[in-house]
Amino acid sequence: MAALLTIAWIYLRIGLIFVGGGYVLIPLLNHIMVEQYRWLTLRQFLDGLALSQLTPGPLAMLATFTGFRAGGIPGALVATIFIFLPCVVLMLIVGRYYDRLKKIDIIGSTLGGLLPAVVGLVAAAAWNLGVSSLSGVKEFLILAVGFALFKWTKITPMVVILGAGLVGLLIN
Amino acid sequence: MSNGAQKVRLSEIFLTFTMIGLTGFGGGMAIVALVERVCVREKGWISSEEFLHGLAFGQILGPFSLNVCTFTGHHLRGIRGGIVAAVGFILPSFLLITLLSWIYFTYQKLPQLQAALKGTNPVVIGLIVVVAIDMGRKQIKGWGGALMAVAAFCASVFLTLNAAWVLLGAALWSLCSSYFRRRIG
Repeated sequence: MAALLTIAWIYLRIGLIFVGGGYVLIPLLNHIMVEQYRWLTLRQFLDGLALSQLTPGPLAMLATFTGFRAGGIPGALVATIFIFLPCVVLMLIVGRYYDRLKKIDIIGSTLGGLLPAVVGLVAAAAWNLGVSSLSGVKEFLILAVGFALFKWTKITPMVVILGAGLVGLLIN
Repeated sequence: MSNGAQKVRLSEIFLTFTMIGLTGFGGGMAIVALVERVCVREKGWISSEEFLHGLAFGQILGPFSLNVCTFTGHHLRGIRGGIVAAVGFILPSFLLITLLSWIYFTYQKLPQLQAALKGTNPVVIGLIVVVAIDMGRKQIKGWGGALMAVAAFCASVFLTLNAAWVLLGAALWSLCSSYFRRRIG
């Protein structure tokens, strides 16, 4: 029980820092899990990082992995809940006041004006992912097929993504 | 929710986000693109503009893939909707990671699933590009907007600037330009 409380407290703090920007998460987790509490070796930590990138959830799923190591399934559950608690609460607060804030003239027009930047960031994410994972003709071919399917058919994207996963397993 | 539209059932919200959580390989923006396709395009649960606002807030507040789910869920059914969406989205990854962790710590081996990513990553890039094009068509109006989009893209790709900073800069830009427009007009 005491161990679970420790896990809860540690991950709550990490979750709060996470709100400031996910980029510090990996060095921070490494420091806490490997150096401070010695729940994982560096090797295990890096393997956990690879594991969490396999899954659809945010990188913070590393919390599940390290929580599992620190306290089994309850540890994994507690770590996952507490690392995401701050950002979920904050997003709920944002959602609650969003409609009201939008009606204030100056805020509404500012929000409306920054949308192109959001679009730019979405495009940038595609670029960054492309740089790191498009290495050969095969990948570009899959990209082209995917683009065409998403753009001109009504197939639900989930089916296309799962299909692509199967293709990936078969050709590699 | 506020416009008196028909209430979406919590169970439908849960199932939708569980499906997104199950298939959103690629993380981050891949999930955002998927949520956009499903919730804005297919189901019409939230307008494109509101969704992008949620994404802007979400990027400032950390793990934006989860934040976008929470925001959309809240938009539909208030606090309960937000929590249901967040839990539904996280659940598949949680179960998968717990299972993989157990395998890893028992057998000291990573399952060979990386190959699947070689197929999903390119397709996910296609999805993000399609979503970016659609969003751009709707939201980028005039030269000012186009310039801002290109500037945000470059700041992120070439200067590797944190999204939160990019958005803060864009907000300032937008604030100033609407202020001046008002002074002139």
